[in-house]
Amino acid sequence: MNVAGTQRETREQATLLSAFVVSATLWLLITTAVAVLLSFKFPFPDLATSPYLSFGRLRAIHTNGTFYAFASVALSGLAIYIAARSSGAPIYAKPVAWVSLGLFNVAAILGTITLDLGMSDGSQEYREWLPWVRVILLLAALCSAYVVAGTIARRVERPIYIANWYTLGGFTFTAILWIVALIPTYQIGVGQVSVQAFYMHNAVGMWFTFLALGVTYYALPKLLNRPIYSYSLGVLAFWTNLVFYPIIGSHHYEFSPLPWWLQTLAIVFSVGMLIPVFAGSANLILTARGAWDVVRRSYALPFLAAGIVYYFLGSTQGTFEALRTAQAYWHFTSFTVGHSHATMYGFITLIVFGGVYALLPLATGKQPSPLLTGVHFWFALVGVTLYVIVLSVGGTIQGINWASGNPFISSVEAAAPFWLARALGGSMMFVSHLLFAYNVYVMIGAKQPTLEPQAQPA
Amino acid sequence: MNRPMDRLWVLMTASFVIYALLAIVMGVIPGIVLSATRPTPGISPLSGPAARGRDVYVAEGCSYCHTQQVRPLAQDLVFGRPSTRGDYAYSTPQLLGTERTGPDLTNIGRRQPSAVWNYIHLYEPRSVVSASIMPAYPWLFTLKAHADQGDVTVPVPPGYAPANAVVVARRDAIDLVDYLQSLKQAQLGSAK
Ligand code: HEC
Ligand code: HEM
Repeated sequence: MNVAGTQRETREQATLLSAFVVSATLWLLITTAVAVLLSFKFPFPDLATSPYLSFGRLRAIHTNGTFYAFASVALSGLAIYIAARSSGAPIYAKPVAWVSLGLFNVAAILGTITLDLGMSDGSQEYREWLPWVRVILLLAALCSAYVVAGTIARRVERPIYIANWYTLGGFTFTAILWIVALIPTYQIGVGQVSVQAFYMHNAVGMWFTFLALGVTYYALPKLLNRPIYSYSLGVLAFWTNLVFYPIIGSHHYEFSPLPWWLQTLAIVFSVGMLIPVFAGSANLILTARGAWDVVRRSYALPFLAAGIVYYFLGSTQGTFEALRTAQAYWHFTSFTVGHSHATMYGFITLIVFGGVYALLPLATGKQPSPLLTGVHFWFALVGVTLYVIVLSVGGTIQGINWASGNPFISSVEAAAPFWLARALGGSMMFVSHLLFAYNVYVMIGAKQPTLEPQAQPA
Repeated sequence: MNRPMDRLWVLMTASFVIYALLAIVMGVIPGIVLSATRPTPGISPLSGPAARGRDVYVAEGCSYCHTQQVRPLAQDLVFGRPSTRGDYAYSTPQLLGTERTGPDLTNIGRRQPSAVWNYIHLYEPRSVVSASIMPAYPWLFTLKAHADQGDVTVPVPPGYAPANAVVVARRDAIDLVDYLQSLKQAQLGSAK
């Protein structure tokens, strides 16, 4: 490519990445403002009593919105940018990438509105958006997948970089998963329970985990300026995750009427998940070994480091949670909600923040304020850690309360202080999102003495 | 070095095939087999109003706080006998739930058969259970100056009742309570 062409490509990449990040950030603000309201409805149940602000509707708006309008959009944008950077190729079919972003937003807007009007696809968690809305979502992901695959197909070097393995895998698995989840013929009664178990777990583990690991495998070595510790460990984690993960969904329905052997299989493979989790997180931690000084001075690395630690802790927690003895106490309690946020926030969301701080300044040449980035980091980290700890304790108390045969309401009373503390942790997380949004603005829009955006190829 | 996975199509095809197989084995086939579960003797599909009430239950997201599955564990005995697959033969969408912020409702039709209690509770849970954190659902009701003939009026306790108006259940509330009352576990036949 000639110089003018390279410059134009660099500019277009920056614009595209910025657009994905801005869209994701706006949805993060909306869906977590909703979440803060939800969390305050526990201590103050008569707060905002209106059908459109009611718990049952907003909860689905929160979960689907954070999943598909925030995390999916941010990770798709980062994946496209990383595909181009790591391949030394221009982004393939840019108009399709813009269509993808548009479709993600159309789906998110329609999904949010329909849920708020009480139109839910059967309260099936993380797929409550009506089927036709989820078809739009599927098309959005397919468009991004097309761009990513097309870009990687034009790479300069023959090996496919390990980050792109994870990205390509994530898109492939998710397309299959979303189609399987849409077809109603085998989803009657308990049949739907088994599909739901499969869906709700795979939606997290075959999509967000893969895309977030893809971002980490690219951003971490790049910022540390050293190669990934072991290519083979990354590959091992890829295949073991692919084979074990789809089997463990039924651990969400332990002691349910689902066939006992299906539940047992899920538990066995939940233990097996220690292999990809240990291989993956050890690989990443070893990549960063001895570089704590660099980590401390970077905007992005603290987020990535904390995200990796939460990946390790949250996933290991999941393995222990799956054991029947533990489930007998923790199943149905707020402990599970703590686990969801350890993984979807502590791991996925922190990696998204880290990925944005790592790559957006590269693309636009504008740096965020070090102070605000630091405050963002500590509010997010302390907030989510408080969230997880208080719900783990509160959830355990709930479980013990039930097991000791008290009247149900005593478990509600016993958990109340912990729910209040969760609302405080959640508020800290929300404040951190406001700072993040401001930083995104600085990295994209604000006037500042710019560094030269890094030219192609990186 | 010339690894096969360096080819884009090999990597993508391998991922596709492996995951598609797993999705069929772990998702689709259990779905097909279990969808054909025969109903527990004694259960029947929901009638008109109760079926509509179930839609209200879905629309309001009651299942984020209430399970409808009794586990074979001692602490679940208060909610009924352990649920069986056949119990759900007519329950699509399934509403087993994954969180018990409130009690299990599998057998609530037996445990709380009073429609009046349910109306009051839905209108303002704290008027009957002071420590409750369940949301109030006043939009399932209307306020009227006077009840008309055929209206289902709700005797909301003083302190929670609106001044100078009566609380009348709307159709959504009536159907929802119909549904709650229909939630009764069928007795299982002897030793099967
Ligand atoms: C935020 C969580 C939450 C939501 C949402 C919720 N509930 Fe509840 N529900 C509770 C709690 C907590 C209790 C126990 C305290 C009480 O009786 O109010 C309860 C109790 C009940 C009871 C009495 C159970 C018993 O064993 O006495 C019924 C019936 C009920 N809820 C129905 C519903 C219906 C119908 C909806 C949807 C319109 C709903 N709930 C939505 C939390 C919730
Ligand atoms: C300000 C930050 C956040 C707050 C205050 C918050 C709060 C909440 C609350 C109150 C619930 C309902 C819990 C219940 O029903 O008992 C919830 C559920 C959930 N949230 Fe968040 N949340 C936040 C951020 C996020 C983010 C960013 C994600 C994902 C990327 C996320 C994913 C989820 C999931 C998956 C659930 C369902 C949990 C389960 O069923 O186990 N949350 N959240």
